[in-house]
Amino acid sequence: MRASYPEVEGQVSHNGLNLGYEVFGAGDPTVLLMPSWTIIHSRFWKLQVPYLARHFRVVTFDGPGNGHSDRSLDPHHYSASSYAEYALAVLDACGVESAIAVGLSRGAQYTLHLASMAPDRVLGVVMVGAALSLGITAPGRESAFERFHQSYPENPRGWEKYNLAYWHDHYEDFTRFFFDQCFSEQHSTKPIEDTVGWALETNPAVLEAESANWTSTKSTREMLTRLACPLLLIHGTDDRIISDEVSKEVARITGGTLLSMEGSGHLPLARDPVRFNLALRDFIARVAA
Amino acid sequence: MRAVLPDREGVVDRSGVPIHYEVYGDGEPTLILIPPTPITHSRIWKALIPYLARQYRVVTLDGRGNGRSGRPVDMEAHSRAVVQEDILAVIEASDTGQAVLVAHCHANWWAVELASSHPELVRALVAIEPGVPHLGKPQPHWVETGPHWDEILEDPSGWELNNRHAMVTRHREWIEFFFGEQLVEPHSTKQYEDAVGWALESTGEVLAAGEEGFELDWPQREVVERMCRELAVPTLTIHGDLDICQHVERGRAFAEITNGELVVIEGAGHLTLAREPVKVNHAIKEFVDRIEGIPMREHVWSRGLKRRKRALYVSSPIGLGHARRDVAIAKELMKLEPDLEIEWLAQDPVTRVLAEEGQTIHPASDWLASESAHIASEASGHELHCFQALRRMDEILVANFMIFQEVLEEGLYDIVLGDEAWDIDHFWHENPELKRGSHVWMTDFVGFLPMPSGGDHEEFLTADYNAEMIEHIARYPRIRDRSVFVGSPDDIVPEVFGPGLPKIRDWTEEHFDFSGYITGFEPPTLDQAAAWRAELGYGDDEKVCIVTVGGSGVGRDLLEKVISAYPMAKRAVPELRMVVVAGPRIDPAGLPSHEGLEYHGYIQRLYRHLAVSDLAIVQGGLTTTMELVAAKRPFLYFPLRNHFEQNYHVRHRLDRYRAGKYMDYAETDPDAIAAEIAAHAGVAGDYLDVERDGAARAAAMIADLV
Repeated sequence: MRASYPEVEGQVSHNGLNLGYEVFGAGDPTVLLMPSWTIIHSRFWKLQVPYLARHFRVVTFDGPGNGHSDRSLDPHHYSASSYAEYALAVLDACGVESAIAVGLSRGAQYTLHLASMAPDRVLGVVMVGAALSLGITAPGRESAFERFHQSYPENPRGWEKYNLAYWHDHYEDFTRFFFDQCFSEQHSTKPIEDTVGWALETNPAVLEAESANWTSTKSTREMLTRLACPLLLIHGTDDRIISDEVSKEVARITGGTLLSMEGSGHLPLARDPVRFNLALRDFIARVAA
Repeated sequence: MRAVLPDREGVVDRSGVPIHYEVYGDGEPTLILIPPTPITHSRIWKALIPYLARQYRVVTLDGRGNGRSGRPVDMEAHSRAVVQEDILAVIEASDTGQAVLVAHCHANWWAVELASSHPELVRALVAIEPGVPHLGKPQPHWVETGPHWDEILEDPSGWELNNRHAMVTRHREWIEFFFGEQLVEPHSTKQYEDAVGWALESTGEVLAAGEEGFELDWPQREVVERMCRELAVPTLTIHGDLDICQHVERGRAFAEITNGELVVIEGAGHLTLAREPVKVNHAIKEFVDRIEGIPMREHVWSRGLKRRKRALYVSSPIGLGHARRDVAIAKELMKLEPDLEIEWLAQDPVTRVLAEEGQTIHPASDWLASESAHIASEASGHELHCFQALRRMDEILVANFMIFQEVLEEGLYDIVLGDEAWDIDHFWHENPELKRGSHVWMTDFVGFLPMPSGGDHEEFLTADYNAEMIEHIARYPRIRDRSVFVGSPDDIVPEVFGPGLPKIRDWTEEHFDFSGYITGFEPPTLDQAAAWRAELGYGDDEKVCIVTVGGSGVGRDLLEKVISAYPMAKRAVPELRMVVVAGPRIDPAGLPSHEGLEYHGYIQRLYRHLAVSDLAIVQGGLTTTMELVAAKRPFLYFPLRNHFEQNYHVRHRLDRYRAGKYMDYAETDPDAIAAEIAAHAGVAGDYLDVERDGAARAAAMIADLV
C-alpha cells in the first residue's frame, strides 16, 4: 500500500508521446518532482511525497521509458530540453503557473534546462546528487564511459558492467551492481530492492535510446551562470555515482546553498529521508516567503 | 551586570525632552525595540537584546517619561504624534534606514501608525501582546474603570487604581497591583521585581499624562481597521493566552487583519518577552530570517552511524574549582570511552585551566557573556550575596543559553555534561522541546538557603526557587538523564527546601547519584610532599602560610586583613613565611607590603603549594578548602558574608570531614588572626579521608549514557 494516493492521475501527450503524472495535496507553492534517469520512475520520490503533500501541492511525472509513460526508443525523446518541455506540459495540464523544481542526479540537468527555458515558471531549484556535466567524474567511472560501446571483458567487474552490450545480456545484474553503487550506505537492502524493481519495469533498449543524449560542459556552465532563482544543492559525501565536487562547483558558480550529507550515497532521499525532507521543506518555505 | 553593552548610545533633543537610545551589533536588518513607555523603559528588552544583536543590528530607545529620557507631565507632550516623532528622530540619529519595528503592548499602536505614515521606513512589524485599539476583545477591567478616570474615588483598590488621582497619589500601589496581575506565571519573582523597579523610575504624574496623551485624538474603529488592513508590511504577533492587559483575542484579530503570522504562547501572560525569552527570541529570529530571505547557511549533516561520539562539556565559570574537577572527570571518561570527542563551552577563568590541559574549547565560547565578571561585580568587601547575584544574572543566563542552544543544534552532540550549568538546566525545563542529546547535571550542593539578613522575603524567594526546581524535575524527568551529586549523602545539609517542601537530603537521595568528592588531584605522599616543598623553595625550618582568595576577584578585603596581622603573627611565630596569592583578578602591586611578606598573582597548580603548606588562610569556597582537607593541612576559612553556599553547604561538609577552623570575617580582627595562625600553623589535621575515586565514579555514571 502507498502512504498517500494522488488526488489526480493523468496523462499528457507531447509530440505523440504519452506521459503519466500525479498530483498530491493542494498547498502552495507547487513542488515539481522531476524524473531522473529513466532506469527508475516517479516512485523513487515515495518517501518525500506524503510529507511534502501535507504542506504543498506536489506534482510528479514519469519521463519516457518507465512508469506510466510510453517506452519510447526514439533518442530525441530523451534530450534534456525535451524533459523541460514535458515538465511544462505537465504543469500546464495541472493548471500550475509556477513551481519549485526538484531534480535528482540526471534530473538536475533536466531541471536546469527547465529553469533556463522558462525562468518565470520556476520559483526555485533543488538539485540532489546533481549529475551535471562540468568535467568532474567520480573515481573509477571514466574508463567505463570510454568503453561503453565496446565489447565487455569475459568476467566484467565493477564499472566494466556499465556497458551497452552487458546491459542487453545481463540487464538485472547490471542494475544490481549500479544500485549497490548508488547505496554506499550499509544496511540498504530495501532501497536496493526498490530501485532494482523499478529498473526491471523498463528494458535495456530504452536505456540505450536514452544514452544517446548528453549535454556539453559549456552549455551547463552557461545555464548555471544565468540561473537567477534560489538554489539548494544536496549531495552525499560518499556518492560513488557523482562526486560531491560537482555540487561544490555548482555552489561556487551559482552562490547556491549546499547541504553536504556526510556518509550518504547517491540517493539520500531514499536512505536519509527525514533529514532530506526537512531540508526540502525548509528551503521551499524560505522560497515561498 | 548586563549581558551585553551597547556599541553606541546617544540622546536626541526633542524640544527640550531628551530621548535616549542605544545601538547594539552591526548585522542586518535593524530591529527597533519600542517599549510601552512610560510604565517601563528599554531594559524590558534585556533578555532579547544579546541574542538578536548577535545577528542583527538592534536599536532601543527609552520612550519619553522613563529610563534615561525626559519626563514631561502634560498630556500633550505624550500624544501619539509626539511619541512617533521621537521614534523617527531616533531612527535618524542612529543612522537607521529601514527597520523592523518590535513593539510591546500599546507601543504597537504607535508602530502601526508609524508604519502607515512612513511605510518606507518599516520593513516589518513584530507585535508582542499588541495593544491596538478596538481590535478583538477589550479586557473588562479597562472598560469598567475607564469612565471613572477623572473621578476622585474613596479608597480605591485593585483595578480602581486605574484612575488619574490614584495613579498620582498611590503610584507604587498601582504599579505593584498591575504587575502582580500581569505576571500570571508562577515563580515570576524576578520579572516582577524588574518590572516594578523600572516603573518606579518614573512617577504617577508622568504615567497619568502618558495614559491621557495616548488617548488624545482617539481613532474610530473604522480608521484602525483600515490602517491595519492596509499595512503593507509582514507582521508577526506573539501573544500570551492568559494576558489580562491585552486580551489574546486582540492579538489574534491583529494577526488576522494584517494577514500576518501568530504565535500564541499558552499559559503565558502579558510579559512573554520577559517570562518566555527563549521562545520569543526564536520566534523573532525565524520570522526575520524568513522575510529577509536569509539563506540557510551551508552546512554538513552526518548520517547517524557515521558520527563520532561527541560530548559538549559546560563548566560553570564561577570560581576555578569546577574546571579542575571537570577535567578530572573528562580524563576518566576518555579512559572508558576512548573514541569520545569532548568539546568545552566555557569562559575565563575555566578556559585557562582547559588550555593548560590541552582541552578543545569551542570557538563560540568567545561569545559568552561573563558570569565570573558578573559575580565579581556583585561582590563588595568580604561579601557576596550569591543567591541574589544568581537571580540578577538572569539576562546573562538567557544570553548564554541562546548561544549554547545554537552550538548544540549545529554540533550533533551525543551528550551534554553540565557542571552547575544553570542556564541549560533551567531553560531546558522551561523549553523542553529544545533538549538535544543526553544531559548530565552535576552539582556539589542542592537547595537555595536564605541568609538571616534577608528576612522573611528571602525565605520566600529561596523556597520559590527551590519549588520551581522541584516542579521542573517532577514534570520533566527526561531533561536530566542523570544527576550527579559531587559528594556523599552525608554532605547534604539537614534542611528543608522551604515551608511545605521536602527535606533536601531525602529529595536529593531520591533524585541523584553520588560520586563522592572530586578534588581533581592526588594528594602527595610524605616523600612527594618533601620533594614538592624543596622544589617550591619552602625550607624544612619554615612554617609556610599560604593566603589565597581563589580566582574570583572577590576577596581583597580578606587579603588586606590577613596582611595586617602578619607583623604580629611573625613575632609570635618567628619561622613564619607568609605567601599571599592574589589570584588572576587582583593586582598584588596594590596590596600593603611588609618586609618578608611574599606576593604572587596567578600561580599554576596552586594546589601543590597548598598541599605542602603548614597553614592556609582562605575563603569558604568548596574547592580550595577540600584540597586542603584532602592534603590534611590545617587551615582557617572565612566564608563570604551572605554567601549561603559557603556559610551552610560548605561549612556543613567541612564539619563532616572534621576539617578547618571556621572564622567570621566581621568578628575577627588582625590580632585574633595572628593568634589563630600561632595556634594552628604546623598542626596537622585529624580529618576524614577524602575520596580518591570520585572522578572515576562520576565518569562511569556518564559513560552509561554515551
